[in-house]
Amino acid sequence: MALAGAGAGGVEQPVLLADLLAELGLGQAQATNVALHLLHLHLQQRDDVALLVQLPQQLLRRGARRQRVRVIGGAALHRALLPRRRRRRRRYRHRQPHGAGPDGGGGPELHLHRQVDGLHVLGRAPCRGLGGGRGALRGSGGGGGGGAGAPGPLSLALVDAAQREDGGDPHQTGLSVENRSKSVRSTVAKQTLAVFPDLRNGTPRLMLKRVMQNQPQVSPLAPQISDHEDTQEAHSEVPSKRVSSMGELQLPDVAPEDTSITVFHMKKKRRKLSISEFERAAERRLLQYQAQSTLDSTIMTRSLHMSVGSLLAPDSVEKRGLLRRPKTRKAVDMEEFEGRVEQNMLKSKGQNDLVDSQSASGIRTSILTSDAEMMMNSTELFIQPQLDEKSQSKLSALEPHLSDSKTSAQRSLISDADQEEARLKGLVSSVSKNQGRTQRYSKSSSLDDEHVDRMTRVSPETPAEQGEEKQSHSQQSNPMAQIYFTEEVVCSAEHGASAGYSEDLEKKLAEKGELQITAARDSRGETEMAPSAGEELEEGSIGAHGSPRAEHEITRGIGAESLARHSHAFSSLNKPEMTPLNESEEQGDELQDQALMLNMDSSDSSDAEDEVEHLASQEVSMKTPAFVRAPAHNLLLSTPHVAEPAAPRSPMKLLQPKTVPKKLRASPKKPREPQMPRSLIKEIFRHFAKMPVARDAFQIVEKCSERYFKQLSNDLEAYTHHAGRKTVEAADLEVLMRRQGLVTDKMPLNVLIERFFPLEYRKLLIPVAMSGNKVIPCK
Amino acid sequence: MAAAGGEERRLLAQRLKAAVHYSVGCLCQEVEEDKAVQFSKQSIAAISEITFRQCEIFARDLEMFARHAKRTTVTTEDVKLLARRSNSLLKYITQKSEELASSNMEQKEKKKKKSSAAKGERTPGEQEAAVTEN
Repeated sequence: MALAGAGAGGVEQPVLLADLLAELGLGQAQATNVALHLLHLHLQQRDDVALLVQLPQQLLRRGARRQRVRVIGGAALHRALLPRRRRRRRRYRHRQPHGAGPDGGGGPELHLHRQVDGLHVLGRAPCRGLGGGRGALRGSGGGGGGGAGAPGPLSLALVDAAQREDGGDPHQTGLSVENRSKSVRSTVAKQTLAVFPDLRNGTPRLMLKRVMQNQPQVSPLAPQISDHEDTQEAHSEVPSKRVSSMGELQLPDVAPEDTSITVFHMKKKRRKLSISEFERAAERRLLQYQAQSTLDSTIMTRSLHMSVGSLLAPDSVEKRGLLRRPKTRKAVDMEEFEGRVEQNMLKSKGQNDLVDSQSASGIRTSILTSDAEMMMNSTELFIQPQLDEKSQSKLSALEPHLSDSKTSAQRSLISDADQEEARLKGLVSSVSKNQGRTQRYSKSSSLDDEHVDRMTRVSPETPAEQGEEKQSHSQQSNPMAQIYFTEEVVCSAEHGASAGYSEDLEKKLAEKGELQITAARDSRGETEMAPSAGEELEEGSIGAHGSPRAEHEITRGIGAESLARHSHAFSSLNKPEMTPLNESEEQGDELQDQALMLNMDSSDSSDAEDEVEHLASQEVSMKTPAFVRAPAHNLLLSTPHVAEPAAPRSPMKLLQPKTVPKKLRASPKKPREPQMPRSLIKEIFRHFAKMPVARDAFQIVEKCSERYFKQLSNDLEAYTHHAGRKTVEAADLEVLMRRQGLVTDKMPLNVLIERFFPLEYRKLLIPVAMSGNKVIPCK
Repeated sequence: MAAAGGEERRLLAQRLKAAVHYSVGCLCQEVEEDKAVQFSKQSIAAISEITFRQCEIFARDLEMFARHAKRTTVTTEDVKLLARRSNSLLKYITQKSEELASSNMEQKEKKKKKSSAAKGERTPGEQEAAVTEN
């Protein structure tokens, strides 16, 4: 405070002093504080309380005009001040029992400070003094600070005498109270309102104190102050009235306490309101966010997911906005994955020579590209007859995979697969626990990012598995299958099967499509639609497996979604049916969307790869789900593709019984390795390239990323094996990241997590303690 | 104390760097004779610097691997894990480790025989120890 500078101002010219202070650039409150402080100092030698009181009042009034501060009348002020002397003797008495002289003085002083602050700061941002005074009053230990910071003009004025004295002997005079307050400023912290109830008795001075205390406190939040000004003023009105009315007040101690307490409450309420308002605004912002295209966010989130598989645990639907982004991509992956899984199953089941040849891991890998395409193609409804066998085998291979995964819920297929499974499981379990859908969705999305194919394979399976374990899958799956089939029918331009369901499904699928790259997908022609429908059915069935299981509640929705996804997955397939699906998609549940997303992703990836044949594979894929769900067969029969499915069905059946618990493991890197959806890679690369990229470049990039992830999984497997475990864990990933140079001594893993992950993922990875002794993720 | 320690470390590091530089120089000389090419001083210096830094990284990774396996001793397993990246290197290391292991086994067996010849009681213990070690 420019006390020194302002010291020049004479006491006799309080107004001028205030102007001087204003010139110095101090705020009104500060100016008043400073002025009062200076006056105080000057008047130390004087016992002119009245003059002191006048000055601050003048300043206050001046400021009050601008700050809407209410200034208690001078009479009340005098009354408040004068009784001080009267009570001097009382203080002696009071003090003796208390034993701590300064304390007694500190108590009333504290009140004074607060009162002063209240008067002073009405409608103003907090001043130093106010804050200090407040703190002191509350025993926060800010007494010293408050005193130093000119807690309040009034207090200063009152304390003039106190300052005059060394503050050593509070018993001195009536003004010794102030004196004590000064000396006690440092000990103000210890002071509490309740220390000396006697002093709170109703005297005008005390009343004034109470009034000032009860004034709306200085609040750091300007708007709040303005809001509460009225209340405060009203508040002050009452006490002031009381003060004025009482010549000698014997108010109960409770009264002032209550008022002070209420004042505190007011403040708290104020803050709560602001928080709720903030939350509302945040939600609004979230909604806006969601409304925006989610592509960018999906890409980012996906990239985030890529390196670290995380379990998503969306807590509430509100966070949907954050979680929804990955949606669009995931669906495609799932579909592709499902298609591939089926194909894999077909293959592994040893349908034909093709199956055998394909089953050969080496061959598979070598043929991966071609197989991948074929696999992708197989997801389509009408696959060329040439590929029938292959697709069938693939589908059969996929089927067992599906069944295997279903049966072995906790199997850790591969390091990646395990991770994915774990994630899926966690996802599913979380789904069942919480709303789940969003979680699942996010999980699936995250999973898809990493290993689309595997994930799609596993995700639908694991959720299916879990679903089975948890609920009556068959029932659900059956209706789901039926729905799928109906969807398929619809896709195949039959649309006749289950009107309502299919329509709903279509709608949901449609939504899904929109979320994803459905536009491209939907462009499929009518002819393609049939195969695509078949694919969809297959994938839908696959997805249905997972989804209905995961979401017992939403069987239909899931089916519809999965179907929709499939339809979308069959990239660039414009299916008129899909359009209605798109529409309905948005209506679907999140979970369904998630499940569908998963399916869609797989299907999308597969579709992306190949848009041509796969008719046969499609049929086979279709069969798989149908076969899985016995009742579904009926629907299949109704479909035109019934004839074709019949053939693959038998192999499917053969495959089913095997179910090979470790089927997925048996085919180590699966006949065809799941691939990342091309669209995902394209989008991410385009986003980071910031310039147009040639198609050939995308292929190279895809190959590189595939290589990268393969190496990644190998490393993870090696690390896991090194630790004598069979399940990849977070520690393995940390070792990997350390090897990669992402995690160093300077950059711990948690920092990376916090830097790149959205809140939900962060919560999953980094245990967060919530209220009620709840820790997320719960362990 | 800390400064002295730091100084010591720096001196030690310098000596190690010098040793690495010398070894790299020798190796480069061999390559020169072998391939009839020339190595400039700067390149040798660069290679030695890179080698030194990579050794630091290796050490850190090895320690991390050992800790990952919940061990406190760095073993050949950790080294093999480290050399996974390069197939040929991995093969070579695996080969060498096998040779070492076999030679160790031979030595132990010899010791056992000697000890058994000398003291019959100890052989079982040694054998057990050897077995557990291996």
